Amino acid sequence: MAAANQAALATGIHPGLRFTDARATLPDIAAEEIDRESDRKALSALAAWMVRFSPLVAIEGEDGLILEITGCDHLFGGEAKMARELSVRLARAGYGHRLGIAGTVGGAWALAHAAAEEGQPALLSSGAERAGLAPLPIRALRISEAAITLLRRFGLTRIGQLYDIDRKALKRRFNSRQAADAVTLRLDQALGLRSEPFAPFRPPPDHFARLACPEPLTDAAGIDAGLIKLTEELCGYLSADGLGAQSFLFQAFRSDGDMSAIRVNAARPVRSAEHVLRLFGEKTAQIDPGFGIDLLLLEASRTGPMTAGSRPLSGDLSGNDLDEEALSALADRINARLGEGAVTITLPEARHPVLMAESTVPFAGQDMDGAAPPENLPGLRPTRLLTQPERVEVIAEVPDGPPLRFVWRRKVRRVVRADGPERIAPEWWTHLPPQAGTTAPLPRTRDYYRVEDEDGRRYWVYRDGLYGDGRGETPDWFVQGLFA
Amino acid sequence: MDLATLMSKGLVGPLTAPPAREASFPYGLDKHGLHEIAEAAYGDRAAATGFLLAAAPRPPRRTILLWVTQASTARDMGRVPEAALREATGGKARRLSLVTRHATDALWAVEEAVVSGVVSHVIAEVDSADFTATRRLTLASERHGVPVTLLLPHICEGATAATTRWRVGPQPSAPNRYDPRAPGHARWRVHLERCRAAPALVGQAFDLEWNDETLSLNMVPGMVTGSPAPGEAPPHPGFPNRRTG
Repeated sequence: MAAANQAALATGIHPGLRFTDARATLPDIAAEEIDRESDRKALSALAAWMVRFSPLVAIEGEDGLILEITGCDHLFGGEAKMARELSVRLARAGYGHRLGIAGTVGGAWALAHAAAEEGQPALLSSGAERAGLAPLPIRALRISEAAITLLRRFGLTRIGQLYDIDRKALKRRFNSRQAADAVTLRLDQALGLRSEPFAPFRPPPDHFARLACPEPLTDAAGIDAGLIKLTEELCGYLSADGLGAQSFLFQAFRSDGDMSAIRVNAARPVRSAEHVLRLFGEKTAQIDPGFGIDLLLLEASRTGPMTAGSRPLSGDLSGNDLDEEALSALADRINARLGEGAVTITLPEARHPVLMAESTVPFAGQDMDGAAPPENLPGLRPTRLLTQPERVEVIAEVPDGPPLRFVWRRKVRRVVRADGPERIAPEWWTHLPPQAGTTAPLPRTRDYYRVEDEDGRRYWVYRDGLYGDGRGETPDWFVQGLFA
Repeated sequence: MDLATLMSKGLVGPLTAPPAREASFPYGLDKHGLHEIAEAAYGDRAAATGFLLAAAPRPPRRTILLWVTQASTARDMGRVPEAALREATGGKARRLSLVTRHATDALWAVEEAVVSGVVSHVIAEVDSADFTATRRLTLASERHGVPVTLLLPHICEGATAATTRWRVGPQPSAPNRYDPRAPGHARWRVHLERCRAAPALVGQAFDLEWNDETLSLNMVPGMVTGSPAPGEAPPHPGFPNRRTG
């Protein structure tokens, strides 16, 4: 028996009970495999939904959520009202729950597990932990079963009984230091004497704006209006702090407990409401309002400093003739429609094989000067580089003549003129000699030729390896590129 | 549909700078408007690309080029490496690339870039572009002064609103002064299939030679367009011809 709800408890079934015993009490009970993975997913989804109450949500164990509501409760009219609203919403969504609010994580845990009932949240104002937790059983302290048994053997069943016991005397009763420390640590954390780290399941946003809708929104126009309002508010916060953000998350919470989220990204920090709205563009149409949306939330993350430069009067007057901001804005718009990372830029890379000397990365507002390739690369480079070198059948002079005839894409090409070879060795420092037992082929030296066929088409072909280089069979020929 | 309706729909509008109709080669390819460059036959994409890079605007200052490719083209004909781009443009242009699955997305991105005005030239490699798309791009390009070039496959035919359409195929290269057996400067035969600026010239073919040292595109006089006889390679004794690979 893994867990029990109110109805089960009422019939005397409690967690930890054997299934046979449970069936003895309730004959028509059914057994099912525990699917912890699905439970975890459901809990994560619930945690994501809880963001509407507080940006800081942590997952506790297998069945608990912790919300840091400092500074959030006033949005709902106080802790009691917030707890009631939370309770009502959870009940409406069909979740059995117990709520505890206290000044410490340990205190709230104790209240939720030992004091609260379904629909009756337990509240403890900050500073009242000592008195409030005293009547609760010690199992509310998040300590191990062994420790609970031990303490009960001494007649210690209430948390309050632990307050006045000399710590040293208590520690001596335990057979290990760690066990004793665990009890005192949990006690101190519950009372707020020692701090407890809080690990939110998602990093909190740097800035956010929220819009509660008294009247649920049911159409796209309402959502758009809400988004405009939120964006302007959020961009106001950002510009007040001199910041821009690269990532914006728009969340819409439906009154039936569902939520949808849209994220847009910018290549460099932005805070222009107009630009952010344009990125969201038609994506808001993806939000299904269902029976109505009652809360909108817009978060900004990956913030960075932003200098609002003044615009030159005309392009001729600017020292930098590229409008990098407008360029990023263009890239953002294309990415927003065609998918993140669609716009790419090719950057030089310090590699020896000429073809690998550049790498294509998503454009993220890189300085365009940084993209300047090194000058004076030796050799003629093809106008087009095929995605993959294509293996061809070749008749060539042995060992190092250019091809005389080859078949590329099912057509025989008779070579009229040829130039080469340009010998390009592999990067020996990245490929050490094979260890005993490994059979990975070693990269081979390539001889590149520029050849022209009867029609005037020019190809870049290479022979992968030299004759008798001891690195494999007879070398193969490949077409790698096409010359103009 | 009368002019007023067209204007209200944004299809027709006053041009900030009425483009002067270029009546000389390359008929505006390097300045403004929409131009199509098609392959003469399958596999001539490299020649078409070479002609495009040779005739494209050579920016005096640092500029950005947007290169949009449809994924099918990229798979079949590869991409243009940075080295080739630099060689042809003199190193001034930086390139932003974009690969899209569909031609419509590619053409949308082209229009977006043209309207934004931050790029100096937009090149798109698509499978096809219909009349409506080319009309839109022509208008956008002329209004914002950003030249757009479409690289099209050899199967493209039919109506277009583009300023010009060229069909490019390779020719045997120029004689190599230093090594008679090696290919020399690239030569292409370029057909002008459509030209709104000079309709009289439609159908004319140009034999062009690209000098990659001086970055100049020269007309080849008719007399020497024939393939130069490659010097007979002296027989290489010692190694037999053998089938490999």
